[in-house]
Amino acid sequence: MKTIYFLSFLLLFTVTFSFGQIPVPNNGMKKSEPSTYVLRNAKIIVSPEKIIKKGSLVIKDGKVISVGKLVRFPDGAIVMDMEGKTIVPSFIESYSSVGLPKAEVSKNAEDPQIETSKEGAYYWNESIHPEVNAANEFKVDKKASETLQKMGFSVAATHIDDGIARGNGALVALGDIPYKKAILKANGAAYFSLEKGVSRQTYPSSQMGVIALLRQALYDAEYYKNHEESIAANLSLAALNKQLSGPIIFSVNDKLEVLRVQKIAEEFGLEFVIVGGGNEFEQIHDFKDWKQPMILPINFSAAYDVGDPYISQQIPLGDLKEWELAPSNPYLLKKNNVQFAISSKGHTKAEDFWKHFHSVLERGLSREDALAALTTIPAEIFNMEDQLGTLDEGKIASFSVFDKDPFEMKNAILEESWSIGKQHLISNTPEIDIRGKYRISLPETSYVVDIKGSAEKPTGTAVSYKKITDSSTMKTRVDTLTSKVGVKVDYRDAVFYFEIKDNKYEGVITLHGNFSPKIDAFIGNAQLPDGTWAKWSGIQLSGYKVDPEDLEKNKVKVDTNSVGKVWFPNMAYGLDSLPETKTYVIRNATIWTNEAKGVIKNASIVLKNGKIDFVGTGTFSIPANAIEIDGNGMHVTSGIIDEHSHIAISKGVNESGQAISAEASIADVVRNDDINIYRQLSGGVTVSQLLHGSANPIGGQSAIIKLKWGYSPEEMLVKDMPKFIKFALGENVKQSNWGTHQTVRFPQTRMGVEQVFYDAFIRAEEYKKKWEEYNALSTKKAERLNILPPAKDLELETVWEVKNGERFISCHSYVQSEINMLMKVADSMGFTVNTFTHILEGYKLADKMAQHGAGGSTFSDWWAYKYEVKDAIPFNANLMQEQGVVVAINSDDAEMGRRLNQEAAKSIKYGGMSEEDAWKMVTLNPAKLLHLDERMGSLKKGKDADVVIWSDNPLSINAQVVKTFVDGELLYDSYKSVDHFYRIQTEKARIITKMLSENQNGEAKKPFVKKKEKHWHCDSIGDSKH
Amino acid sequence: MKAIKILLTIALTYFIGLSGTAQKTMLLSKGTVHVGNGKVINQGLIGIKGNKIILVDNALTHNLDPTLWDTIIDLKGLDVYPGFFAPNSKLGLTEIDAVRATRDFREVGTYNPHVRSLTAYNAESEIIGTVKTNGVLYTQATPEGGIISGTSSIMSLNAWNWEDAVIKKDDGIHLNWPSTAVGGNWNSSSPTKKSNDNYSSRLKEIRAFFEAALSYSETKDLFDPRFEAMRELFKGEKRLYIHADEMRALLDIIDFQRELEIKFPVIIGGYDAYKVADQLNAYNIPVMIKGGHTLPSNEDDPIDLPYRLPYLLKEAGVLFCIQNSGRMETMNTRNIPFLAGTAMAYGLTEEEAISAISLNTAKILGIEKLAGSIEEGKLATLFVNKGTPLDMRSNNLILGMVNGAFIDLTNVQTKLYDKYKSKYENEK
Repeated sequence: MKTIYFLSFLLLFTVTFSFGQIPVPNNGMKKSEPSTYVLRNAKIIVSPEKIIKKGSLVIKDGKVISVGKLVRFPDGAIVMDMEGKTIVPSFIESYSSVGLPKAEVSKNAEDPQIETSKEGAYYWNESIHPEVNAANEFKVDKKASETLQKMGFSVAATHIDDGIARGNGALVALGDIPYKKAILKANGAAYFSLEKGVSRQTYPSSQMGVIALLRQALYDAEYYKNHEESIAANLSLAALNKQLSGPIIFSVNDKLEVLRVQKIAEEFGLEFVIVGGGNEFEQIHDFKDWKQPMILPINFSAAYDVGDPYISQQIPLGDLKEWELAPSNPYLLKKNNVQFAISSKGHTKAEDFWKHFHSVLERGLSREDALAALTTIPAEIFNMEDQLGTLDEGKIASFSVFDKDPFEMKNAILEESWSIGKQHLISNTPEIDIRGKYRISLPETSYVVDIKGSAEKPTGTAVSYKKITDSSTMKTRVDTLTSKVGVKVDYRDAVFYFEIKDNKYEGVITLHGNFSPKIDAFIGNAQLPDGTWAKWSGIQLSGYKVDPEDLEKNKVKVDTNSVGKVWFPNMAYGLDSLPETKTYVIRNATIWTNEAKGVIKNASIVLKNGKIDFVGTGTFSIPANAIEIDGNGMHVTSGIIDEHSHIAISKGVNESGQAISAEASIADVVRNDDINIYRQLSGGVTVSQLLHGSANPIGGQSAIIKLKWGYSPEEMLVKDMPKFIKFALGENVKQSNWGTHQTVRFPQTRMGVEQVFYDAFIRAEEYKKKWEEYNALSTKKAERLNILPPAKDLELETVWEVKNGERFISCHSYVQSEINMLMKVADSMGFTVNTFTHILEGYKLADKMAQHGAGGSTFSDWWAYKYEVKDAIPFNANLMQEQGVVVAINSDDAEMGRRLNQEAAKSIKYGGMSEEDAWKMVTLNPAKLLHLDERMGSLKKGKDADVVIWSDNPLSINAQVVKTFVDGELLYDSYKSVDHFYRIQTEKARIITKMLSENQNGEAKKPFVKKKEKHWHCDSIGDSKH
Repeated sequence: MKAIKILLTIALTYFIGLSGTAQKTMLLSKGTVHVGNGKVINQGLIGIKGNKIILVDNALTHNLDPTLWDTIIDLKGLDVYPGFFAPNSKLGLTEIDAVRATRDFREVGTYNPHVRSLTAYNAESEIIGTVKTNGVLYTQATPEGGIISGTSSIMSLNAWNWEDAVIKKDDGIHLNWPSTAVGGNWNSSSPTKKSNDNYSSRLKEIRAFFEAALSYSETKDLFDPRFEAMRELFKGEKRLYIHADEMRALLDIIDFQRELEIKFPVIIGGYDAYKVADQLNAYNIPVMIKGGHTLPSNEDDPIDLPYRLPYLLKEAGVLFCIQNSGRMETMNTRNIPFLAGTAMAYGLTEEEAISAISLNTAKILGIEKLAGSIEEGKLATLFVNKGTPLDMRSNNLILGMVNGAFIDLTNVQTKLYDKYKSKYENEK
């Protein structure tokens, strides 16, 4: 141990920042522990911007006191020579649960459990528990720490991984650290997710329900903040309010969920640091210039086991493309100016983390950005940048020591992890590197031994020769024996054993020797094949040379072009780029206008700027750059509008947890990567109402989308979308077919359904009245009388919109009694049922429907699948139409949705409807029911250019869709189907070849698992769990 | 002899009923006869005696002796079709899917060859009434579930009871081949689909069962109800219907039927059959494909593959017919003509599409000598339509006949229609 004085003018002893420690009594005497260390001659990566090629790091009492090329070594410091090593600031794990217990399902919960089982002044829903504090539960977990330390993390943010509002996290130092020192920050960030967690409460059962619940909780918190003095205490809301000013970490699993969560942040003026899904690159346009930093996982999935072509052909191209491109996610986000931290989330093995980390670098993320993502950015996220993130003077002395620079070499080994000044040895790197060629000398003989392999696990070969003289010819020959050498390195000693065969010995020889690194030589004792002992020495003939091929193989090599392109969406039938609106002229076609002109032959239509510019037989001017299509023999119609669809929805079509879920909205969970969007375009559908399911009397709000394949969910929503809500009646809402134990939720009979409606509308009325009364007061008067405003109630506000005529009902219905009931409820409460959907017994009371002003959107011929549809008849559409009801034919089914033209045609068969009227049932009539007929549903100048070209009369069984335009963009073209087929095959083959080579290289592989969203129907319950 | 112009009400009231035992003769005259075998007779004569067709000829060349016929019905300008088939169907075995009390198609157990649909078949099902009015006049009542779901029977759709409905009793045993991938159904609790690790062990199990049944069939002094039911399979008196879709399964089935010397194997499903057409042809294995009103199995598949599959199999020379098992299949049985229509839109000729739900089906079921086309000696089960019944707009039966007897063209739905139509008319 030496103390060296260098030119120390740089070093002003500013060690005023040492930990202010609270005194803890010792057992009799203070422990003897070194506190000051110098790590010299190391490559020190101080921060993303600053690297010292060879310098020293001085730490004392857990802090960095100096770092540089020339620093003063303090008295009494332990000096460690780090020649050849690289020191990297500790990574900060920004998303973990280290040291915290797993949440457990309450065992005493009722089933089904409608209300909270948690006693105390907490929020009414168990998945909202912001009052939980990680620091209270934290335990130093050396084993879990070590896993993270092996990945370069000595600091981690941790929280209890459960629920939607999860409570406060803590920032902790990892390693074998005393409890009293381990928590760096107790009231850390607040954590949120879209996962309900272990709560057994029925609500929420879907992602849209989770979003609605969280929004309501945030409104409740706001109300609580404003009126805390005047209302009963709620510990959950009090905690939530405290959290909203601090860092908020919001964890999701998918790019679309990031966008959904960001919408909530914007609604409440909050700043969420969102833990992404790792597939953000697939939606890159929406992430450009993202304002808050994100946290990115890099737990890329292993290649599929693609050895069996029968199986590999079933893996969807979308999964293959995501696998290939996921490691480029950080680079592509960075290119689009997104700041992010990188998390080891999802890794259980350090070697996987490092593999993925290096693939991120090789895909183009610079070392500066990668380091920042693991150090300075998380430090900033957790407001700890003054203490963490770099190795600048004054920062906490947490860092890792590698044998090589891990940003340059993929085989770098993390040897030591230092956590607040305490050293942890991580890899048992041998003290000595014995690799090289040796002459091993024994009495009267010697052997050449070549030791190769890695320093930790060397292997070697030994050669021995035996001279043999033929007794008859007297000629001699030499037998050579090359044998494997077993090598074991143990601290500074090494053990060898190998087989020899020469004129002196025949058998196995074992040697133990002590290695002197100064002279690169061994001295020791050996046991010979005959059992006798002998002294031996080993002199190094030549040192170990790194195989240049090996060196090259382990270098981090950046290549951003080795991967395929992102498609929109990134799956089969995805587009290379977003389509452009062009001008199209379709000539000589039979055009079904749905207007007074009816069906016109030899007519033309012009699509321009997303609108219909001309329809008819007269003369018109052809716009410049127009693409002309010969429509000879073809039929042109407006796009099909499906009044009742459940495609393109993520994680649950029903919020079935409560009888009323008016607050939930499908618009929050639209997804753009459902292949059924494309498939339905191929059936001529251009607009779909995505309805909530029928699990409860008052369901959720609808989304009305254009089937804009390739666009984001937000862009798919119809502009100024009319507001709709799903109501439902009958077997589904009374849970008739849910299994025998589902007999708890009100209502269980048609009698109860009526009362749920009255109750909801009366409560909504009262709610509105309270607001009106409150708003009528002057602020002063309200204050004087201590009158509080009503608390915002998302559910009742939506119900009020219905009553007030701002939101339209589409009501799932079958049996005439209940249909009549709802119309009577509506009449008495002063609102109108806009649409009865399914409405299979509509024919029994079509006159009453017409009188009430309700439309009907029905199946053409479905019946007999449950008891309440036993009286359904395919003549229903005709009978309703004859009574003056606006009638549409809908699908409620991804398959039927792509041949609604056939379904419409069935009304010609059953009841003799005219062809034009039948056609209107899937175009103009649903547009009317959706209040979109001013913009869609017929071919008329100025209307949206949602246009379909058919090979034949669209009601004919022979009709095929030739082209589908949405907003004037050609989004389906049957002429391209062969191109698509080959493009998909080629792309699959390309990626499978890549996977195969990974399979062969012995990389991790996983069996085929196909991610799949469910095909939803009205009565699909629950969320897809994956 | 009476000559009847098309006066439906008269025809129906006169001939209706299921008695049909009187050996009267009838001539359906000058309709366009779609034989079912691909041929069309533009002005055809169809002679019927009792329950059989005794004459099929061209009116232009036939030397007609009107005195031979008790009744002659002039069908000029109309089209005559053989009764269509609904093979692999739960029709008659269930009435309302969601009501457990009406579900009689799935028995407890894994190997149930002895379980027969025959006696559970409800000839009076109200759904049947809505099916025959669209031209579907036969069904193969088929159990489902387990590995061997049971034994099916072929029924005609106009009958008093299962005994007089049956066309072929216990025609075959249904084997559900394991899938190489599991999960991924629209309504399964796990929406992910993954490779089936138990595939090979299942195969061994099936093989062991069949081998045991084969050994049993060579003895006479033992009795085991399951193996007993398998006996006729090895004699070639029952068909083996093997339900499978994927390429690997289809190839394994080809080996299986060869090694166990199954005389009449039939594949039901066959989504990938076009990929292994040569192998199927080499062993003359026919396929009952699922009709086109279904989504492609895989995201990446050509989006019109289910529509185009019949054409692909026809081009490959595979004998195939169309069935419609799946979600809500019972009530959708009446849409089988439109499944054939969709196949026509995507490549088949109209006559090929008709064969796919008539003669081809009869061949695959092994009853082509008895049914499936309008040919002499076959059952007089046919219907008259104006225009093609494969198109929704023109599917409108004018006459329907099963085993020589006219059928009632009303059903529970037309009755409700008439009832409420007149309610509104009376209220005007």
